[in-house]
Amino acid sequence: MKKVLILAVAAAIVMLVPSFASAQTANGVLTVTATVQGSIGLVFNSDAAGVALSSGAGTNAATLAFGNVSAFGAVSAGVVRTVAANSFTVSSAVDVQVSKTNSASANYTLKAQLGAADAVNSWTVGGIAVTSAAQSTLTATGTYAANSNFPVAITVPFTTASGTLISNTINYTATAN
Amino acid sequence: MKRQNATRTLVIAALMLSSAALFGQTATGVINGTLINKNGITLVFDSDPAGVALGNSGTSAASVNFGNISAFGPLSGGVTRPSVTVANFTVQTIFDVNVIQGGLASVTYTLTANLAAAAPTGFTYKVDAVTLTTAAQTIQANGTYNTDVAHNLGLVVLTAAPGAGGPAVGSPIAATINFTATAN
Repeated sequence: MKKVLILAVAAAIVMLVPSFASAQTANGVLTVTATVQGSIGLVFNSDAAGVALSSGAGTNAATLAFGNVSAFGAVSAGVVRTVAANSFTVSSAVDVQVSKTNSASANYTLKAQLGAADAVNSWTVGGIAVTSAAQSTLTATGTYAANSNFPVAITVPFTTASGTLISNTINYTATAN
Repeated sequence: MKRQNATRTLVIAALMLSSAALFGQTATGVINGTLINKNGITLVFDSDPAGVALGNSGTSAASVNFGNISAFGPLSGGVTRPSVTVANFTVQTIFDVNVIQGGLASVTYTLTANLAAAAPTGFTYKVDAVTLTTAAQTIQANGTYNTDVAHNLGLVVLTAAPGAGGPAVGSPIAATINFTATAN
C-alpha cells in the first residue's frame, strides 16, 4: 500500500514537472524580398604620375587642381607642359576606374563632356577633345575594375591675362556594353 | 356560536396567508464565475521609422520588400548600403520586434532567428551581426518586453554575374526568416 502511494506521488510529480519546465515562447515569420539589378560604378583615383586629386579621390566627384600654370614658369609636380607658338598646354594623369556588379558585361564605353562652354581654352581628356556641346567618346572598350589613365589637358592661349582662374567641370559617363 | 367564530377565524387566517403568498415572492441564486489567467508571450513585427515600411506591420507574419537593390544604383527609401566591396555589397534596413508578455515573472526574453530554407544563390542574410542559417541562432539574449526593439536586417549580395556565383537579377528573390522569442 505504501509503495503504491509513493508511485502515485512520483507519477504526479513527473506529470507536473514538464508544465513548469517548458519555457514560454512566441514565434514570428518575416518574409524578405529584394530584386537585384546589375550596376556599374565610376570613381576617380589619383594617378601616381599626375597631380594628386585635391578632393574626392576614390569617389565619383573629384577635384583636380593644377595650381599656378604658365608657359615658362614653374608648374606643380605631376603637371606636364608643352608649349606651342601661341599657347601652352598643361596636363595631368587622372585614373578612372569603372566597376561592374551582377552583370555579364565585358567592357564599357566612357564618354565625357564639359559642364560649361569654354570659348577661350581647349580641353582634352585622354587625348580626345571635349566640349560642352556633346559627349565625346574616350573609349568604347574600357576594362572593368582597373585604373585607366585618361589625362586631362587644358590648352591656354598666350593672350590669357595673368591671374586668370580657369575652372570647369567634366562630366563622365560610363555605359556597360 | 362557537362554530361560527371558529369558521370566521379560519377564513381570516386563510386570507392572511394568501396575501402573504401573493406579495414579495423572491428567488435568489449564486453563480460562481471562475477565470484562469493564463500567462504567455507573443511577438509582433513593427515598421521602424528609419526603415522600410513592413507589410502586415503589427502582426507576427510580416514582410519587408527592399525593392530594387544594386551596388551602385538608387535604393528605396529606408534602405541603406553600408558597404560595397569587390566581392559583395550590403543593403540594410531596420525593423522592430515587440515581444509582449502577460502573467509571467520573466523580465527579459531571448530572441532567436533562422532561415526557413537555405539562402538563395548569391545571398546572405543577417540580423544585426548574426549571419543567418537554417539553424536557430541567438539574436538577443536580454530583450525588453512590451517595447519596440530595433534590429538591422542586412542582405549581403555577391557582385558576381548570374551564373558565375552571383544572384539572379531582375526578378524578386524571397526568403523567410523565422523568429522565436523565449521567456528567460
